[in-house]
Amino acid sequence: MIIDVNTYIGHWPFRQLRYNTAESLVRRMDKHHIDQAIVASIHGILYKNVHDSNEELAFRTKPHLERLIPFSTLNPTYPGWEEDLRRCAEVLELRGIRLYPQYHGYRLTDSASVELIEAVTQLGWTIQVPMRIVDRRQRHRWDLAEGLKPGDFEVVFNRFPSTSWIVLNGLGFDGKRLNSDANFLIEISRMTSVLQRNIPALIQTAGAQHLAFGSGMPFKVPEPALLKLECLDTSEAIKRRIAWRNVAEMLKLKASDGKKA
Amino acid sequence: MVKIDCHMHVNGRHHQWGWSGNDCIIEAADKLGIDQLCVSIPTVRGMPTIDEVRENNDDVITMMKRYPERILGYCYICPGHRESIDEISRCLDAGMIGIKLYNQYKIWDPVVYSVIEKAIEEQALILEHAGYPTTPEDWVDQPNMSHAGDFVRIARLYPQAMLIEAHIGGGGDWEWAIKQLRAVPSVYLDTSGSVIDEGLVEVAARELGVNRLLFGTDMTMEGGVGKVLAANLTESEKEQIFWRNMKGILDRRA
Repeated sequence: MIIDVNTYIGHWPFRQLRYNTAESLVRRMDKHHIDQAIVASIHGILYKNVHDSNEELAFRTKPHLERLIPFSTLNPTYPGWEEDLRRCAEVLELRGIRLYPQYHGYRLTDSASVELIEAVTQLGWTIQVPMRIVDRRQRHRWDLAEGLKPGDFEVVFNRFPSTSWIVLNGLGFDGKRLNSDANFLIEISRMTSVLQRNIPALIQTAGAQHLAFGSGMPFKVPEPALLKLECLDTSEAIKRRIAWRNVAEMLKLKASDGKKA
Repeated sequence: MVKIDCHMHVNGRHHQWGWSGNDCIIEAADKLGIDQLCVSIPTVRGMPTIDEVRENNDDVITMMKRYPERILGYCYICPGHRESIDEISRCLDAGMIGIKLYNQYKIWDPVVYSVIEKAIEEQALILEHAGYPTTPEDWVDQPNMSHAGDFVRIARLYPQAMLIEAHIGGGGDWEWAIKQLRAVPSVYLDTSGSVIDEGLVEVAARELGVNRLLFGTDMTMEGGVGKVLAANLTESEKEQIFWRNMKGILDRRA
């Protein structure tokens, strides 16, 4: 059983993407035995009125809700996010939220963001935040977003320990600096099982309960992340935690691979 | 499937890459099914002394002796040293396979000519650090880093040289680099680097041909293997990238 916490559908204006529809994403998941995936809109990141992308996402994913778990995109600095959040939950039946402070011009600790985080926490939703979308060294000249830093997350984990967080494209975390009581997962697609061994290091310092499998499709190919799971020198129980169990518990999914975790 | 990693490094006295002990390289290679690794220890910032260059190469030779079936060595050279050609001879005599150049000079700089001519004479390949970051700040500390356009320039001057442009996934605009290299069929491209973008290997294969692609990791071990496995290519084409192309290059010198 594998649940991928880091996938998208849609278009990125600066590079042609393939396998970027709900149907092609599910076919890719089939090929790699990935059972479910959290998915959000790519192009919604760059919409001024991001909520339009939530309506598109709900429509595109509706035929695949057994496999795809759609997460909304909202911008707390744009008017009306409160009503948009309500519609995402009650009308569109989206299941969580992905935030992009680096593209929408705020910090997670700004007052507008704090209000949104509190409202999302009230809903019982999970908040995903990518540290970056693309490697800064190959960005388009109009893509000025700076990557987030581990310290940005250390602060919000301390301030909102009961909020469910998933950091996407995570790298550079020192588990000893993270609030062990906070409810967070760090997705592994930029970390390694071998050589630098930052996944084993994070297991040791933060605990395996704080890691989750993610691929980054369709920006990235999924094979490297799958190899990281395969090569990870740890117990099968810990691999299952990372592959699906941690996120299944966070999202309260009825997931099981039939094995004792 | 056999795999020869054409772009890897080992720790040495002057440079530690972020892992403890070189034995982890072999452990990682074993887990990923990498049979041989072609390694070097370049000086990554500033101008090294010739003593530092020699010591870097001595540390590579030590690893070659420790793992003779697994580790192949590149002779790192900073071309401005008048002792460079002698150092290349020393390292090739010690069993190294080729030359590693880093960012001290553009590859078309006339100071590099004698190194290229020595490589041609010896049928040795040259792996040159390269990139085309779109962020100006990434050029500040390596202003002489070569990019694909620089390879086009030197390959036209020395079409018989066996040049490898390093790490297409090294963080620059890989589409820009691939389009540049269409102009010079003699330049190889290594697939290493931390960028594992969907389509990267396939676009390179489509535009340059699989016979010009060489598998590498440059320390991104799972990513390096995974991006080639992911490519929508035949098993035979993947074999070319994983090892056959590199073996063909090495056999020219053998």
